[in-house]
Amino acid sequence: MKNKIIILGGGQAGIYAAREIRQNDPKSNIKILGEENLLPYERPPLSKDFLLDKKKAEDLYFHSSDVLKNENIEFENISINKVDFENKKLFAKNDNVYSYDSLLISTGSENKKLTLDNNLKNDIYYLRNLEEAKKIKEIVSSKNKITIIGGGFIGLEIASSLSQLQKKVTVIEIGNQLMGRIIPKQIADLVQNTHIEHGNEIILNKQIEKITKKNDDYEILLNDNSFIETDFIIAGIGSTPTVKLFENTNLKLDNGIVTNEFCETSIKDVYAAGDVSNFYHPFYERNMRLESYQHAQNHGICAGKNIAGVKTEYTSIPWMWSDQFNLNLQLTGICDEYDEIIERGNDINNGVIYFFLKNNKIRGACGVGIIGKVGRDIRITSKLTEKDTIVDKQILSDQNLKLNKLIQK
Amino acid sequence: MSEENWIEVGSTDSIEEEDLIRFDHQDKTFCVYKLTDGFYATDGICTHEAVHLEDGLVMDDEIECPMHQGIFNIKSGEALSPPACEDLKTYPVKVDNDKIFIKID
Ligand SMILES: Cc1cc2nc3c(=O)[nH]c(=O)nc-3n(C[C@H](O)[C@H](O)[C@H](O)COP(=O)(O)OP(=O)(O)OC[C@H]3O[C@@H](n4cnc5c(N)ncnc54)[C@H](O)[C@@H]3O)c2cc1C
Ligand code: FES
Repeated sequence: MKNKIIILGGGQAGIYAAREIRQNDPKSNIKILGEENLLPYERPPLSKDFLLDKKKAEDLYFHSSDVLKNENIEFENISINKVDFENKKLFAKNDNVYSYDSLLISTGSENKKLTLDNNLKNDIYYLRNLEEAKKIKEIVSSKNKITIIGGGFIGLEIASSLSQLQKKVTVIEIGNQLMGRIIPKQIADLVQNTHIEHGNEIILNKQIEKITKKNDDYEILLNDNSFIETDFIIAGIGSTPTVKLFENTNLKLDNGIVTNEFCETSIKDVYAAGDVSNFYHPFYERNMRLESYQHAQNHGICAGKNIAGVKTEYTSIPWMWSDQFNLNLQLTGICDEYDEIIERGNDINNGVIYFFLKNNKIRGACGVGIIGKVGRDIRITSKLTEKDTIVDKQILSDQNLKLNKLIQK
Repeated sequence: MSEENWIEVGSTDSIEEEDLIRFDHQDKTFCVYKLTDGFYATDGICTHEAVHLEDGLVMDDEIECPMHQGIFNIKSGEALSPPACEDLKTYPVKVDNDKIFIKID
């Protein structure tokens, strides 16, 4: 009998897993169940080139339906609302039942919602999927004063795009710097300056007390009693793994689905990958949950191998990027476990990088610069991290010395 | 092959091994690479977004885009890793008297 493999969640991790399973296993039935009525697509452009009209919806798909057909991967548009791990079954709202031999959970993450006491739920916009991006794009075209609640990556990318569409943008951030504490304050400040230079207003250390609707506009009251008048509100206040479905099951959850280095969960034959998984990273010797393009791809591939019986450890060094205005920010490794910080460069035109070292080895780095200026060094940094190289700090800190000299062949 | 389409890029020692230089000609940008087995040329702009590959990392036969780590094979131009999915155009290269020439059509 053919093995039945179900992939729950038709996003990036799901599609990469499906294709990887097929590469290693020509026979199994592979079925992706996705609640969005779309083949798997890239999310990064949603807050950038899609809003800017530089990319259309059809440019975002990872693969055409032909690729899936050729590889005999089925995609069904359905939302699953119950799981029975014991009997290996998934249930949909319309009473469809799906049984599996192996299951990959790749349900991604969802946006946290603002808790407001008055009834403005439908007036606040969020961005996670193509449908929401289309709605924002359409409505924003007739709006001028935009407020973005939350100064994280997605909020700032939207702020950058809407500013380029000649909107007056205000960003309200509760913390004392943009992009949370994982980004060095100096880098957050450089990004903030760029937003301000382009006319965006950035408000730090402030919280929303109340939002009141006034005709078609809104008045936002902040905790210092100041007001902001606005005609469109988008919130980007972080996300949580999509695990509601599993809350009353015996699947082990802790900030996502707990998985080991082989993408295996606490339940046999059940795997998890991408944004939803809190996985064990053998190099860092700890669990982590990542929301990044590169991770969703590589973790999906790794899960695919393991599901197909090719036992493979997940050892990818984390990497992510954010594009805002003419800046490209990149983050590699982890930047919260260090005993020394080294700075490379101080001019955004040539790129600025902060390296986080522990015992003379790089654990992570964060850099920002005009497009193209930090990518090569960050990539080399990932390699140095992966190889656990003891680095020459002189070379790290001197932008005139090339980092590839540090790679031992 | 018409001779006039061969454009001089520079001297062979202007590129270090496993590295590249950017070469602008008229309104186009190219990257010229020195690999262990010779010289190669591709378009200078990533096929994913308009980013100069001159700042990318050359590893073996591959160039990695500095913006989102899209990877291309330098010799064939093949897009090897997402988000790059469209191939990069390649150009013939010849060396004459320690000078590098590329053939632009
Ligand atoms: C606006 C935006 C911009 C981003 N920009 C960047 C960037 O610049 N750089 C970067 O590195 N990363 C970026 N990311 C992050 C990156 O896109 C994600 O990390 C990646 O998409 C995660 O892949 P995934 O497969 O885990 O989840 P997803 O791609 O989110 O896929 C999960 C899918 O599962 C479906 N699903 C959930 N529950 C069910 C259910 N019960 N039944 C059926 N289907 C279900 C969901 O609808 C969704 O389609 C961005 C994300 C967003 C939203
Ligand atoms: S611009 Fe080159 S990979 Fe995106």
